[in-house]
Amino acid sequence: MPNPVDIISNSRNRIAKVAAIRAFVYALVPATTALALAVGLDAIADSTWEVYGYILYPAHAELLSDAMVIVAGVCLAVGAVRALVAYRGANDFMGAAGQIDQRLDGHEEIVTLATLADPANLDLGRARRSPLFPVLWRHAIAYLEGFDPKLEFELEVGEPIRRSSLLAAVIAGLMVLATLGLARPPTPAMAEAAKLNKIAREIQNSATGPSDIALAARARAAAAALTDPKLPPEEKVKRLQEVMREIESEQNQKKNQEASVGAKGSNSGAGKSPDLNAKGQSKGEGKGQGTGKGETSSVNAGNNESKGSNAGSGAGNGKDKNGSKDKNGSKDNSGSASASKDKDKDNANKAQNQSIELQNELKKAQAQIETESAKNTAAGQAGGNHGRGPQPGESPNEKGGGDRLNQNAEGKIPRPGTQGAKNNSPAENPRSNPDQGSNLGDTHLGETPAARNYQRYLKPGEKGDSIDIRDARYVMFRLPNAIPSAGTGKTVLDTERPKATTPYANVPLAPTRDDAPPDERQLVPPRYRELIH
Amino acid sequence: MGAAPQISPDQRVAEFRRVFSRAQTEVSRVIVGHQEVIRKTLTALFCGGHVLIEGVPGLGKTLMVKAASDALGLSFKRVQFTPDLMPSDIIGTQVLTESDGRREFQFKPGPIFAHIVLGDEINRATPKTQSAVLEAMEEHQVTVFGVTHTLAPPYIVLATQNPIELEGTYPLPEAQMDRFLFKVVMGAPKPEELREILNRTTGVQDAHAQAIFEPGLAPQAIEDLKALVREVMVAEPLERYIIGIIGACTPGGVGAIPEVSQYLRFGPSPRGAQALILCSKVNALLAGRVTVSYEDVDDAIVPALRHRLLRNFQAEAENVSSESILEQVTKRLKRPRA
Repeated sequence: MPNPVDIISNSRNRIAKVAAIRAFVYALVPATTALALAVGLDAIADSTWEVYGYILYPAHAELLSDAMVIVAGVCLAVGAVRALVAYRGANDFMGAAGQIDQRLDGHEEIVTLATLADPANLDLGRARRSPLFPVLWRHAIAYLEGFDPKLEFELEVGEPIRRSSLLAAVIAGLMVLATLGLARPPTPAMAEAAKLNKIAREIQNSATGPSDIALAARARAAAAALTDPKLPPEEKVKRLQEVMREIESEQNQKKNQEASVGAKGSNSGAGKSPDLNAKGQSKGEGKGQGTGKGETSSVNAGNNESKGSNAGSGAGNGKDKNGSKDKNGSKDNSGSASASKDKDKDNANKAQNQSIELQNELKKAQAQIETESAKNTAAGQAGGNHGRGPQPGESPNEKGGGDRLNQNAEGKIPRPGTQGAKNNSPAENPRSNPDQGSNLGDTHLGETPAARNYQRYLKPGEKGDSIDIRDARYVMFRLPNAIPSAGTGKTVLDTERPKATTPYANVPLAPTRDDAPPDERQLVPPRYRELIH
Repeated sequence: MGAAPQISPDQRVAEFRRVFSRAQTEVSRVIVGHQEVIRKTLTALFCGGHVLIEGVPGLGKTLMVKAASDALGLSFKRVQFTPDLMPSDIIGTQVLTESDGRREFQFKPGPIFAHIVLGDEINRATPKTQSAVLEAMEEHQVTVFGVTHTLAPPYIVLATQNPIELEGTYPLPEAQMDRFLFKVVMGAPKPEELREILNRTTGVQDAHAQAIFEPGLAPQAIEDLKALVREVMVAEPLERYIIGIIGACTPGGVGAIPEVSQYLRFGPSPRGAQALILCSKVNALLAGRVTVSYEDVDDAIVPALRHRLLRNFQAEAENVSSESILEQVTKRLKRPRA
C-alpha cells in the first residue's frame, strides 16, 4: 500500500530535479555553442583567409576566443544559478501535491492531504485534521495507487533546447559579426605566417613519424616569430634561418639514410644532388641487384635527372621535388614492386614536397623581412633624428618616421613618376597566383592598396621634375607647422601690427536745440503734494 | 449528540448524501422545477445559514419552504411582513396572566420560535421590524424585556422579497442582507414545468412531502449533519483562492478587477468568505468528498456573494448586475495550485 506522503515527497524531489535540469539546459546550448565557436575559431579564421583573403589577426582571434569562452562561462554560471533557483522553487511539498492533483484530477484531495500531512509543518497539520482525515487518507491512497513520479514527471528537454537555440543563434551571429568586423587584409608578414601555419597543419595531418611533427612545430615557431611584434627584424631572420637550417639538416640526414639503405642492398650506387638550392643538372645512376634506388633531390627549379637501373628484384625511383623534369631510367625493372611500396613512395613524395614548400615560404619570409628592414634602415639614415618630410617609398602608416615637424630637415626628395612598389615582384609576393590579388591596387579579392611610395610637391625653391599628376592616386597636402616658441623671454608689445582706426567726417553735424518751454506741468499725485513743496 | 460518533466517517458522509438527496426529492415532489433553489435552500439549512429568496408572487416560495420543513420534520412558522407589523408580533411579548390567584407576566413566543421561519415579503415591513429578526438570525436568540430566549436548533430564516411593486417597501439594509447566507432567485417556470404544476395543483390529489426522520429525531440528526459539514477539510491553496475572490470583489482590494472598482461601492464582508467555505463544504460532501475543490467554491460564488456586493449609481444606471461582476471575477481569478 503506497504511502501518499512518501509519494508526494518523491514527486517533489523528482520535480525539483527536472526543473533544475531544464533550467540548466536553457544555458547549456548557448554555452556549448560558444565553446564550439571558441574551439573552431582557428578553422573559421583559416576559411576566412582561404576563401575571402582576409585574415584574423592572432590578437583578435585570441580576443574572440576569450570572449566566447567568457560567454560560455557566463552562460554556464547563469544556468547553474537558474538551476539552483529552479530546484529550490520546485522543491515544494505543496507544489508537488498540486501537480499530482492536476495529473490525477484529484479534486484537490492530494493538496488537502499535503496541507494536513506536510512533514515540514506536521504539528500544524495535525491540529487542523478533522475526524474525516482517515477518509481523505484512503482516497489519496486510491488515487496514488500505481503512481510513479519518474514516469509522470519525465524530463523533457526539447522545449528548453528549442528556446535556447535562439540565444545560441544570437551568440553565433554575434561571433560572425565580430569575425567580419575584425577580419583585416593581411600584412605581408601575416600572410606569410598564415601560409606557414597552413603548411604546418598539412604536415601534421599527414605526419608519418615524430620528425614530421617536429617539422610542423618548427614551422609554427617560424610563423609565430614572423608575427611577433616584439621581435626585431634581425631576430626574426635569425630564427627563420635556424628553422631552415634544421629542416635542411634533417633532409640531409634522411637522404643519407636512404642512400645507405640503397647501398646495403647490393646496389650499384646512388646519385644525388644534395644541394637544395642548386640550379642546373645533376645525375645519379645506380645499378645493382635487390633493392636499389636512384634518387635525385632538387629543391629549386632545375633540370634534374636520375637514373637507376637495377637488375633482378629492385625498384628504381626518381623523385622530382620541385616540378623539375625527372627522367627515371628504371624502365627495365623486371622486379615486382608491391602496392605498399608505392604507397610509401607517395607518402615520402608528399612529405618531401611539403618540406620543400615550407622552405620556400621560409625564404620568402626571410626576404620580406630583410627588405622591410633595409627600407627602415635607409629611411632612418636619411631622416636621422631631426625629422624629415615624407620620402619616396615610405608609407605614412609605418612607424619610425621620425619627427616630421621640422620641414627644414634634409630629406630625400622624391622624383616624380617613380613607383615605390619594389617588393611586388612575384618572388616576394606572398601569393604566387597573380589572380589572387596583389599590392598594386587590385582590390577585387579584398586587398586594399597600401601607399608605399608617393610623391609630394616641390617646396618653394626646390628644383625637380614636375609631378605627373595623371598617375597620382593620392594627393596629400601638408600645412606648414607652427613655429614653436622658445619658451623664455619677456612679452613685447606688437606695435607694428595694423590697428583699427575710428572713422570721422570732415563736416560736423549742427546741434539741434529746442528752446520751447513745456506746455503743461506734470501733476503731482495727491498723496505726495504735502511732501513736495 | 446522536449516533454520529458510533458510525464511521465514511458512513456519516454517506448518511449526509442520503438525507440531502431524500430531502431534495421530497421537496421536488411538491415543487416543480427550481432544483437549484431547492438545493441551495437545503444547503443553507445544513450550513446553518439563512436564505433570501427573491421572486415574483405565485412561484411557490412558501410552498417550497413548507415542503422542506415537512420533509425534514421540523417546525415551521410563517410571518407575513406588512408595514404595520411590530417587532413583538414576530418575537413575542410578555402577557399578564393569572394563575392560582397570582398575576404575573408570562412570555408568549412569537412566530420566530420555530425551526424554519418564513418571512414573506420581508421588505414590506418597517426597518424597526426588520431589525427585530437580526438578533434571532445571528445569535439564535431573542431578548424580550431583558430576558433572553434561545431559539431551538436547527434554526433557519427563509425570507422572500418581491422584486416588483417596490412602492411603499423598505429595502433591507446592508447589515441585514449580509446576514443571509444565500440569496437565491426564483425564475419563472418553464412551459413543461408549468404544465406539471397545473397537473399537480388542479387535480384531485395533493402532493405532500414525506418526512425523512422519525418524529422528534430530526433536529438532532440535522445538527449532526451540520457538524459533519464543518468537519470537511479545506486545503491552504483553496483558502487563498477564497480570500482572493473576496479581495477581487472589494473596490480597492488586493487583486480587484477594474469592473469592481468601477461599479461597486462596497465588497463582501468576511461573512461572504464564510458562506463560500460552508457552501463549498456541503458541495464537497454531496460529491462524496471530504475535501473542498475549486469546483465546489465556484459553484457557491454567485449565491453567496451576489447580495453582498453594493453597487454604485453607475452600475444601476448601466444595469450592470452583481452576477455579471462576479462572473468576470471568476473568469479572471487564477487558481493557486500550491
